Amino acid sequence: MTFVLNLGLALLGGPLLAGVVRKMVKARVHSRQGPPIIQPFYDLFKLLGKEDLESSPSLVLRYAPMVALAAILAAALLTPMGVRPPLGGHGDMIVFTYFITIAAVMVIFAGLVSASPYSMMGAGREIMMHLVVEPVLIICLVIAAIKSGSLVMWDMAAWNYVNGPSISMIVGGVALLLALQAQIGKIPFDIAEAETEIMGGPLVELSGPKLALFEWAFFARQIVYASVLAAIFIPWGTGFALPWNIGAHLLKITVIILLVGLIDVVNPRLRIDQAMSYFFGVVFVALVGMAFALIGA
Amino acid sequence: MNSSTLLLAALILLGVGAVITVFIARYRTLCGYVAFVVVLVSSVWISLVSWTALTTGPVTVPLNFVTITAFNSSLEFVVNELSAIFLLLTAFIMTCASLFSIRYIQAPMYQRYSLTRYYPILLLFYISVISVLSVHNMLFFLCFWEFMTWTSYVLVVFHWVEPESSSAGLRYFIAAHVGTGCMVLATIILYSHAGMLDFSALRDTMAQLMVSSPVTAHTVIGLFVIGFATKAGILPFGFWIPAAYRAAPGAFSAVMAGCLEKLGVYGVLVVFMLLTPVSRHTTVWGVWIAVLGTASLFVATLTALQQTDSKHLLSFHSIGQVGYIWLGVGAGLALLRISPPLAVMALVAGLFHAINHGFFKSLLFCSASSAVYRTGVRDMDKMGGLMYIMPVTAVSAIVGSLSISGIPGFNGFVSKWLIFAGTIMGGLSIPSLVFMGIAAIFISAVTLASFVKFLGMVFLGKLEVGPEVERREVPVSMIIPQVALGIFCILFGVLPVVAIKPLYTAVSRMLPGNYAPTFASVFGSSPLTVNLSLTGTASGSWGPIVVLVAFAGCLALAYFIFRMGGAQTRTVPMWLCGEEHPFAEVRYPVHSFLLPFNRLFATIYPSIPMPRLPRPSTILRALNIDDWLYYPGLRLGERIIRVLRATHAGNSQLYMLWVIVGAALAIIVLFTM
Repeated sequence: MTFVLNLGLALLGGPLLAGVVRKMVKARVHSRQGPPIIQPFYDLFKLLGKEDLESSPSLVLRYAPMVALAAILAAALLTPMGVRPPLGGHGDMIVFTYFITIAAVMVIFAGLVSASPYSMMGAGREIMMHLVVEPVLIICLVIAAIKSGSLVMWDMAAWNYVNGPSISMIVGGVALLLALQAQIGKIPFDIAEAETEIMGGPLVELSGPKLALFEWAFFARQIVYASVLAAIFIPWGTGFALPWNIGAHLLKITVIILLVGLIDVVNPRLRIDQAMSYFFGVVFVALVGMAFALIGA
Repeated sequence: MNSSTLLLAALILLGVGAVITVFIARYRTLCGYVAFVVVLVSSVWISLVSWTALTTGPVTVPLNFVTITAFNSSLEFVVNELSAIFLLLTAFIMTCASLFSIRYIQAPMYQRYSLTRYYPILLLFYISVISVLSVHNMLFFLCFWEFMTWTSYVLVVFHWVEPESSSAGLRYFIAAHVGTGCMVLATIILYSHAGMLDFSALRDTMAQLMVSSPVTAHTVIGLFVIGFATKAGILPFGFWIPAAYRAAPGAFSAVMAGCLEKLGVYGVLVVFMLLTPVSRHTTVWGVWIAVLGTASLFVATLTALQQTDSKHLLSFHSIGQVGYIWLGVGAGLALLRISPPLAVMALVAGLFHAINHGFFKSLLFCSASSAVYRTGVRDMDKMGGLMYIMPVTAVSAIVGSLSISGIPGFNGFVSKWLIFAGTIMGGLSIPSLVFMGIAAIFISAVTLASFVKFLGMVFLGKLEVGPEVERREVPVSMIIPQVALGIFCILFGVLPVVAIKPLYTAVSRMLPGNYAPTFASVFGSSPLTVNLSLTGTASGSWGPIVVLVAFAGCLALAYFIFRMGGAQTRTVPMWLCGEEHPFAEVRYPVHSFLLPFNRLFATIYPSIPMPRLPRPSTILRALNIDDWLYYPGLRLGERIIRVLRATHAGNSQLYMLWVIVGAALAIIVLFTM
């Protein structure tokens, strides 16, 4: 049951929420009509049927998109989404972090194997962004681990629900929110893809179903990250009966993704060095949160 | 044969093998096979002995006829549970390395060097490692330790003709001897108090010293830690590692990274588990060891990211990974008195990472050496796309890279996960551990980035080798070791309990009874899932099989989506905005790959120039025979000859004059006689 919930939410909720953002936020800011809400699905299905152009005969390039999507889905199975995650008893926050990393690495692999200068540049940027953004997620999860005395993500969520908000968890939540924009590759931090500059970076040589799978993985990634923030760091709305729990969770991630979409549409892209210095600030905020956690606040 | 005979037989066989290989060194292939068979047989015997030690308890081989009465010491080999673990690792890696050597050492660049300086020394080195791991007397321990340093030094300077190789060897030699010097000093201090050098006697003395004169006790422990840190390659003492690993032949780099470094870890465990009783000191030193480990994993891995030479990159990662091991071991020692279950977990984590690092780092050195063997270059900028000519090597390198980066499903993940869990949970009692844990997790991502670079530049991408390079896989005898090591990386990744159980046995039997909780209370009772239960409930879990099956399911789903549209595939050239460029023009070089990030950390590894020692000039002058004997003599001779030549060259009248004067002289002589 929960398998279906987590996978379904990641696979279908991701594109749907992206459609909502495009219609409700982006189009409204641009004062235009906007595409239908299910436009992302039209795009994905169209891409899946289009011709697959390969510039490199590598097997890695053939399987990277599948592994990326599969890794995000596996991470989704470890993420609490209003209910206990289906794989919660077999993997904890460190396993989760690594699955997220695998997906990022697949993007990098795709860029490297394509060997186009644009894709190589994009892959390098992707690595650098990952290296500065990943620590924020880790530190925030460690704060929750210290507070709850457990590395299992559902225990963290349960602990925060039972014990209510605390200073360290709030600081951690803020840091995670500040990093979320980059973690899901949105402007001002879409530096790795940067369509207007390096034409999609690691994805420049991809087309058809490969591109569709990566796009789909990125949509699902939004749901996973928003769920971590919502379930672990926003301690309200988990004490009801089952369907209400899920409803509250959906509401929380919708609000988060709309907020992210709003920031995306009103900002210009940063340069990679600007982004890195910004994230060193965020890491510092997260470390402050951890200092609070260690003194028990 | 019983176990104690087997151990002796293995040592004797290796000794005999060393002698034989000296005589047949001219037949390069035969010599390689003989050495391999000798290593294989003795490794099997050593493994049997180690297995007995792990299952039924220590194996003792007294050799009382070797007694040094002056130091009250007699030789005795004892294989206990801890040394059994390290012996198993050594046996496996030595076997792989000697098989790998057979063809590797016949590469064109090694043709000019005689193999008398390779195989016999390798076998002697193996003897010394086995002996170091199984003596329990400080005198013999130091003797074999020194023997090991000498043999490994000879192997490091195998390409002695190249100046960088001999300078790397010199660095190693000096560093190793400073380290050994510290250990000798510590031993002398202890001997002056104990009057004996057996580990058990030293332990009693240490217990007394800790109460009566704690400064002496701390000095002794500190000296030992410095000595072992030097061998393990912990910064700042491990500065010799990058140069030495780069200079050594690839197969021996694998051995150095795989088992020589691990002896430093073994030494630290011996100091804190066999030589000193558990006390306040253990906690203090545990934190310091963890700090050293964190510093070296942080600095070395970020430095590795900036390297363009494949063996340099791997050796900086060696320093980094040993940092992880020390972090685990240090956290374990620090927590020993506070929370035994957590401590046992962290110690097992450190030990497990030592084993895993042995497997994947040897594998990576073998793969990198295969790439060098085939292409003849080391700079990653000049390789690329080797996957298309060396598929098996490429897959092994990918397995090794994924293991060292700690991707779930590979062995590196399990041990790193245990280290992270130990440091984060240990942070509840010792807060500084959390920060070290976070640094370690962050560095894990850096490791991944740097291996993505390694794979991307060497094995993936577009095939780019010169026309002189043979386009085929390396020989089978070089592939088998890589595949064998790779299989273990995956096996321990998927079934971690298989490895954790013996490691837990080793750790718990080394600790006093009240510090050793049961296996189930630390790692859970499931054979497939590791459930850490440190605060009562499960506080961390990793079930590789369940998660990997779910992942496979997700993969199947992704494949189904991929195939859903029934898209056709077509091969097209690379798209460069409609323009056509030769590939070399648009190639993105290694050094610019992570430029902004590297610029940030450019100065993290300060390179301190080797101080030039002032040497007394008279001695130098006296030694330089050319200057005061040969050249002056030569110049004198030249001057005389120039004068003589002038009399024969020039105008003919002068020459005639000589003839007349000569004839006159001859006539005078003839007529006066």
